[in-house]
Amino acid sequence: MSKSRPVYAPFGLDPAGRAHLVVTSLDAPPEGIEDSLANIEAWTVKHNGPGVPAPAVAGVRPFRSTTELLAQLSHRLTRETAGLRLYAVGSEAFIWDAYNAAIAAGLHPSEISLHRAGPLVRRVYCSHCRTIIEDVPANIVACSSCEAALFVRDHFSRRLAAFMGVKVDAEVPGEIPEAEVFTS
Amino acid sequence: MKLKIEVIDTLTPGIRKFTLAPVDGSPLPRAGAGSHVVLEIPGPGRVWKNAYSITSAAEAPAYEIMVRRVEKSRGGSAWLHDHAKAGDVLEVQPPQNLFAPQRLAKRYLLLSAGIGITPFLSYLKLPGLVYELHHCCKPEDEAAFLALLPSGPQVTLHTSRNTLNLEELLKRQKLDTHLSVCGPESFMDVVLATASHAGWPAAKVHKESFGGATGGEPFVARLRRSGVTVTVGREESLLDAMEAAGLAPPCLCRGGACGECKLHVLDGVPAHHDHYLSEAERAANNEIMICVSRAKTPELVLDF
Repeated sequence: MSKSRPVYAPFGLDPAGRAHLVVTSLDAPPEGIEDSLANIEAWTVKHNGPGVPAPAVAGVRPFRSTTELLAQLSHRLTRETAGLRLYAVGSEAFIWDAYNAAIAAGLHPSEISLHRAGPLVRRVYCSHCRTIIEDVPANIVACSSCEAALFVRDHFSRRLAAFMGVKVDAEVPGEIPEAEVFTS
Repeated sequence: MKLKIEVIDTLTPGIRKFTLAPVDGSPLPRAGAGSHVVLEIPGPGRVWKNAYSITSAAEAPAYEIMVRRVEKSRGGSAWLHDHAKAGDVLEVQPPQNLFAPQRLAKRYLLLSAGIGITPFLSYLKLPGLVYELHHCCKPEDEAAFLALLPSGPQVTLHTSRNTLNLEELLKRQKLDTHLSVCGPESFMDVVLATASHAGWPAAKVHKESFGGATGGEPFVARLRRSGVTVTVGREESLLDAMEAAGLAPPCLCRGGACGECKLHVLDGVPAHHDHYLSEAERAANNEIMICVSRAKTPELVLDF
């Protein structure tokens, strides 16, 4: 495994926290948190039909997209007080977007925990034209802007929350190997 | 470097402010917010080396320090209060900084008690610092401290325990705030425990740890490589005793904070009084911070 790939611990609440906010790119929070006695709130991504928000249930607030969730997260963190712990659960792109929003809001890394869950898709950064390609399932993908056939390296940028994509047929144009589905 | 005492101001009966300027008018090394200097203070039979926070701004042409007269003074503060006069020249070690502001902090909660205000006086001279300061002091010292501090809603003085609700204060701080605390050990212990209880992560809590050097039972230290044996008296530190014997062990803060003076313990059990070693390192008992720590056994053998 590449040294640039972060390693994630299993999900668990930090007992030192006074309040806990769990955000996930999935449609449900991690199992078991509704049984927790802690002061805890969960944000999920779920909608009921085109553009229709899902109803909120006790302690769980659904958003229609990760974009909507992350925008609200930045706003929320500016109003929060000391003692909060933030947990991000989901795709690697989402959890690092949440991490970067939290750092920008003044949280320390020790107040944030990240947990990888859901489909093994990657966000890919085209290192030729800087385009971001979301939800890539396999290690060869065509850039949606410059159309370069990209090889997705195991090189993760925490700043971009994306894996680096480089032209796979730079040596022999047109020679594109078979794509392999991600297993990690 | 040699610095001249240019001005002495008496702020309270127990606190004097010294302005230290270069003897020859040459520029001083820059002392960023949170820095301290170590003064070499003449005493009967020996030289005291005491660390004092610099309260002036980084660009100031002279260093300002404040010295509280310590009851049962080890010697340094008594001399500065009773004998020092304008025009005296002292040997001063260049500034060090073990309490610098956090680069990533957007906002500060500063908590101090008594003479612990001193490092924050340099913080408050930083342009654009966003902060809330709470300072605890005796009622008779309130006017003197008020005169040192900017006036405004961000500064509150407390002259009684009842007016500072630490828990409420710590719980209402915004998430982008760092906490810095300086004052007597008991004050800092309460603040740190309350902060931890309120969910503050250790990485956002910063404390200035000076004055840990307390006396204790005399003991003997054998310095294996030097072949020197020193007796550490009731009122002096192991570091002091080694220096008095002509040795020059590494040291910086002289307050158990910086880790510079760590020595290996070859035999005997140290009594740890520092703020540097981790719990596991303390328990291992094979390292000692010689500026503040002492011995549980009559004798220590050190690798020096």
